Amino acid sequence: MVQGALAGLAAGGLYAVLAVCLTLMSRLVRVVNFAQAATGMFGSYVGVALSVHGGLPEWLAVVLGVLLGGVLSVLIGWVVSTWLAEAGTGTRSAVTVAVLLLLISLSFILFGNKPQPFQALLAGPAFTVGGVVISQVTVVTVALAVVIAFAARLILTKTPVGISLRALSERPTTAELLGIPAKRLSAAVWGATGLISTVIIVIVAPSQSNDATSLSMLVVPAAAAALLGGFRRLDLAVAGGLVLGMLQGALAQVDQLSVVRNFVPFLAIVGLLVWSQRKEVWDAAR
Amino acid sequence: MQLADRGAVSRFGTPLVVAVVAVLVGIGLTVGLNGYFAYLGVSVVVAAIALLGLGVVTGSAGMISLCQLTFGAIGAWVVSALNVAHAPGGFLFWLLLGGLAAGVVGVLIGLPALRLRGINLAVVTLGLAAAADVTLVEIQFPGTTEGVSVDRPSLVADDNAYFLLCVIVLIVCALLVHFLRRGPWGSSWAAVAFSERGTAAAGASVRTAKLSAFAVSATLGGISGGLLTAQVGFAFPTSFAPLQSLALYVLAIMSGAHLIDMAVFGAVLWVAVPELLKRWGVPQDWGYVIFGLLGIQALAGRGNLGTAIRELWRRRSRASAGVQITALDEEPPRLPPGEPVLVVRGLSVTFGQVKALSGVDLAVPKGGVLGVIGPNGAGKSTLVDAISGFLPQAQGTVELADRPLTGDPTQRARSGLRRTFQQDRVPSGLTIEAYVRFVARRRPPAAEVAAALEFFGCPPAATPLDRVDVGARRLVEVVGHLMAKPQVLLLDEPAAGLPHEEHVAFGERLRQVPARFGVSVLIIEHDLDLVRSVCDTLTVLDFGEVLASGPQAEVLADPAVLKAYLGETEML
Repeated sequence: MVQGALAGLAAGGLYAVLAVCLTLMSRLVRVVNFAQAATGMFGSYVGVALSVHGGLPEWLAVVLGVLLGGVLSVLIGWVVSTWLAEAGTGTRSAVTVAVLLLLISLSFILFGNKPQPFQALLAGPAFTVGGVVISQVTVVTVALAVVIAFAARLILTKTPVGISLRALSERPTTAELLGIPAKRLSAAVWGATGLISTVIIVIVAPSQSNDATSLSMLVVPAAAAALLGGFRRLDLAVAGGLVLGMLQGALAQVDQLSVVRNFVPFLAIVGLLVWSQRKEVWDAAR
Repeated sequence: MQLADRGAVSRFGTPLVVAVVAVLVGIGLTVGLNGYFAYLGVSVVVAAIALLGLGVVTGSAGMISLCQLTFGAIGAWVVSALNVAHAPGGFLFWLLLGGLAAGVVGVLIGLPALRLRGINLAVVTLGLAAAADVTLVEIQFPGTTEGVSVDRPSLVADDNAYFLLCVIVLIVCALLVHFLRRGPWGSSWAAVAFSERGTAAAGASVRTAKLSAFAVSATLGGISGGLLTAQVGFAFPTSFAPLQSLALYVLAIMSGAHLIDMAVFGAVLWVAVPELLKRWGVPQDWGYVIFGLLGIQALAGRGNLGTAIRELWRRRSRASAGVQITALDEEPPRLPPGEPVLVVRGLSVTFGQVKALSGVDLAVPKGGVLGVIGPNGAGKSTLVDAISGFLPQAQGTVELADRPLTGDPTQRARSGLRRTFQQDRVPSGLTIEAYVRFVARRRPPAAEVAAALEFFGCPPAATPLDRVDVGARRLVEVVGHLMAKPQVLLLDEPAAGLPHEEHVAFGERLRQVPARFGVSVLIIEHDLDLVRSVCDTLTVLDFGEVLASGPQAEVLADPAVLKAYLGETEML
């Protein structure tokens, strides 16, 4: 069981990083981005294509893919913040559902629907704890999750940019009237989360089932993790991702429970929502 | 009588005529189509039923559902399993059972959804779709691995006959949706999509509204999955993949599937676009790209295909209807105020450290109008919220006709206490008539509704609410609640949104409400002219406490009241 849980930590780190991105998006630009993982998928697929078919050196292909993930995200953000500036989170997020569909279909058209020949950037064990091997991927994903969450927290609480961002998310119109460059800042948030999502997917994809749909659907466990922090708290989002990954890893050890394992993110989502929303009775403030 | 008959004919007759015509078209197509097109036709019908379901949950009730084909998979599963087990009853019966099973799962998924709105529900349903997909690939449908196929009933064995059967199932489903939407459930779906508070204040259960929408949608999903199984003979997980559910959701948005004809139109696109792309040698995935782009456009409020097409052939005037209300010539009759009918004692509400109300006592006399006034932030709206049950943390007692008034807003509304809102809570998807019927929780005679609407200067009953301006909508809200014949109606600034000249005319009508409708009124109002002309008694709130209470003239002469209002221009 413990072995399984530790093996699940790599996936946990992945969920945590994506959950941090989802939380930042939800807090700062009022979007639950269903296309978060799909953006990363698309960027990393382009990276693979550039290196395999385009003959570019691998490092360059990866960098270009990651940059594309960021640009793509900014583009989506531009549509959302231009066309739906005043809309509620629900409508803004619904657009990203259409984007999710769009990106998966586009990747089928461009790359076919077979998993891609990803080159592992990181391979092999990092160290061993009590007879259990911890892979380099695990170390890097978990570290990334923690570092990104900390960095985001520092930026948001200690820097002028972070304070502007928070003002922007609480009162977008007021913030804009105060002279905060709303569009540029929210584009920056979209871009940053797009870059991070692509980086983490490039790192983890070789060790995952890496067809376009599976990678894009990583948004489901990530959302489960983000829900632990109510789409607001970064630390709980990280914890949620790690616990979810370890839980799935542990359950994977028991063959009879494999169906249960599939439903773990879903059950976590339902459970957390019912618990966290138990006091939220009415929709509008008054 | 004749009018009522004509109403019933158009209410039941028109849809039935359309249904009969649709069956005839189906028969015509069956004769005219060759096998392959009949097969494609079945695919259209299957998609149309699934889209009808999405039209209910997403289009009418405003909830994002991303697992419609997971419900389809449940229907397919039940049909396959019953087929493998040689269960009695035959295909159509299994189809029905499959739909019902999906409906039950829909309710189970919907249960947590009761407290969830908007985006959370989207996360839940996408989670279910992803989990179900992985699981189905692992365990496969019953009979698939053994090669036990689901055979069509012998009468409809060939593609053309099966197509006709599917068309008939679709028509039955469409009629069901049409009549449900016309009934109280349908109105509650439209209401809950717009405002949960407004729904509860009309005495309708928010829970029932959400669960019924989810259940109906899931049932339709299940039926479409069952039909698909007999079309192919086997159910495969790929037919129910999350990607397809997402595409169907986007298609429902872009085609406007809350309209039945547009659901069918969307289904035609669903099948025709990939088919055409195939013929032109273009990868079929471009179909989803097209749907995705049009979906983004529709979601971004740039208009969807369905309404655009409707506008083309039904050029309706888009002029908005407003209030036509003028002063009365004679002094309206008044009832002598009687014993208190609504009694509030020691009502207190705190939000964290803030005391919004502390120890408020007041009484609404039977047949009278009590005005509650006070400066901004005095706690007036909090008072209405607390009395009508929207603040369960409120302390103190509320009695209506000597019986304690407790429970949630729905229960309180049903026990005879109604309220309106300061903000617009009138759903725009209905006509005035349907909305009034929904709020009244009964079917008042058309003449009664027309008279009440005319009395308040509202547009005629057949006007769609999306063409009614804000001031008129607020009066329509008042009319609806009066038609419910409550004992007491709480009005939260009902005249806001009306031009000032019309306040007095409105006040004169309000003055007659107790005599004319048998309803006692508590009104919160800023316009002191209106208050003077309407209220027998006044209660003044200041910082959450009662500053003065009693007959209008005494209260308005009270030095403490004058002091609290000093600087408020209305008093000068």
